[in-house]
Amino acid sequence: MTDTADTTEGPVRFMPQLIGLDYTIRTNPVAAAFGAALAEGHITGHRCPSCQRVYSPPKGYCPICCVATGADDLVEVADRGLITSWTVLTPIQYAGQKEREDYALASILLDGADGTIGQQRLVEVPLDEIRMGLRVEAVWAPPGEREGDDRGYGLGTAVSGWRPTGEPDAPPSAYQDHTL
Amino acid sequence: MRDVAIVSFATSGSLPAVEDTETQMLFPVISEAIERSGIPRADIGFTCSGSADYLAGTPFAFVGNLEAVGAWPPISESHVDMDGAWALYEAWVRLQHGDVDVALAFSSGISSRSDLREVLCLQNDPYYVMPLWADHGSLAGLQARAAADAGLIPEADASVGTPPASDGAAAVILVAGDRAREVCERPAWIRGIEHRTDPHYLGVRDLTEVPSAEAAGLGDAPVEVAQLSAAHPHEEVLLRRALGLGDEVEVHTGADPLMVSGLVHIGEAFRQINENGRRRTVGHASSGACLQQNLVCVLEGDA
Amino acid sequence: MELMYRRSLGPVVGAFLTGLRDQRLLASRTTEGRVICPALEYDPESGDAVETELVEVGPGGTVTGWSWVQEPLRKHPSDRPFAWALVRLDGADTSLLHALAVDGPESVQTGMRVVPRWADERTGHITDLAHFVPEEA
Repeated sequence: MTDTADTTEGPVRFMPQLIGLDYTIRTNPVAAAFGAALAEGHITGHRCPSCQRVYSPPKGYCPICCVATGADDLVEVADRGLITSWTVLTPIQYAGQKEREDYALASILLDGADGTIGQQRLVEVPLDEIRMGLRVEAVWAPPGEREGDDRGYGLGTAVSGWRPTGEPDAPPSAYQDHTL
Repeated sequence: MRDVAIVSFATSGSLPAVEDTETQMLFPVISEAIERSGIPRADIGFTCSGSADYLAGTPFAFVGNLEAVGAWPPISESHVDMDGAWALYEAWVRLQHGDVDVALAFSSGISSRSDLREVLCLQNDPYYVMPLWADHGSLAGLQARAAADAGLIPEADASVGTPPASDGAAAVILVAGDRAREVCERPAWIRGIEHRTDPHYLGVRDLTEVPSAEAAGLGDAPVEVAQLSAAHPHEEVLLRRALGLGDEVEVHTGADPLMVSGLVHIGEAFRQINENGRRRTVGHASSGACLQQNLVCVLEGDA
Repeated sequence: MELMYRRSLGPVVGAFLTGLRDQRLLASRTTEGRVICPALEYDPESGDAVETELVEVGPGGTVTGWSWVQEPLRKHPSDRPFAWALVRLDGADTSLLHALAVDGPESVQTGMRVVPRWADERTGHITDLAHFVPEEA
């Protein structure tokens, strides 16, 4: 913060303050089970016993019915699905930025799931050919290199990206209720 | 003023370091409070939560927590970066508007993810105190010393340690008007509720007094049970003096878990009426260094 | 989680911290004549703004309260055991919180006289004042 270092003369007008706090996040059992299945090449979810919606990644409850879910409600979903929405990012080169080229992240509705999984990287597709309804499949990381997300929000490093399958696009009816 | 009562209360109690997410920890507590109230979840007209993202170590953690409430169809809700006692206060205020009759107030805190001796420094004066990283135990020690110097506590209680830091959650259901009597055999009516605050900088305060607690006050009638958010013996002494609690009052203390203990105290004050047949009780919550802010909630059961 | 702030100080806090850089202890005055050190921008009693000019206080002062730290935390201003002290500087009506360097809790009493020790490098920060020491030291 060099502009506040020149304080040897004249009134001091700013005070730099670095606040550094350390947090330990423990992986909850639902996320741990999800991560273990990912390591084996399976994407799992929980099906709500009340409304039958499938959440992947699982939360341990259905937020619509407010019913707890657990191992008894475990289901597997496919490692392929369709794009419901996407964004092309042009990475700003701030200190620490690792991305150099434009890239795309998408929300994907996996076959068998009722909610999308977000922030998924699209690969092997030109950015201007990405579209809603595009059918994609997971590009799995090699076994042994699949680390789960410590909070179970995403797929960790298990899936390095999603590429088109070559199947015909899904129709609007497949994604129009999932665009968020 | 509408009469508002607490009709149910649930808490996880003080938990050792949880593995669950904050939302997972909240889920059964909120469900229990709702079930105990006998009121359908869909009848809740307003929800208010208390929590601190700086405790969770996650931005917008409180937004995700709403999944434990059931936020579809969309609900009316609010949040305070305070102990759940303040969420209860906001819910009480909201019920005064007259258009909704049922409110849910809840709070959660996972202190085990961080060192509170550093995290709580963020609530101090950013220019003069925060950069010194004076931990909350040290600051409480200043008040203990003041109390000892004034002869209010024995010398042995002048030295205080870092208080415990558990995880936990709590929830209450508030109901306005006669519906409270329909769903609850012995509701606890909120007869008085007030939040006052003393100056922020410790050096301008007389630490032997708690003017904000005194100003919030208890009113004129006696209380049988007082649930006080006192983390240390000297805090109990100072709060008793400020609130005018005599030896005949049954007093319970504790300030753990953070973000939850104040709501728990009010919940326990409710249970004293609802389950133990008491007539008038008080729940107290505090926030900030050396009892800087105080919320007092006086509850009464029907005669 | 790391957050880097650059806090604007305003005329009152800025003047106080500038004073520390220059090894001066300044205080704000309320309209009632109460002298507040460290300088606060508003009278805590009335909420009125303090007078524009700060007044000088100290350098010595009296300990009005303290607590002992046997095992300093990593971010404390001292890595040896020390006392937190509330110090009412001469001329002030309120106390300032800072570290007091003494060997043990038996060396601290409410009412003792202390003087400031300044940091070698000062930038306009509360730690320009390194700590207090007993006056006779």
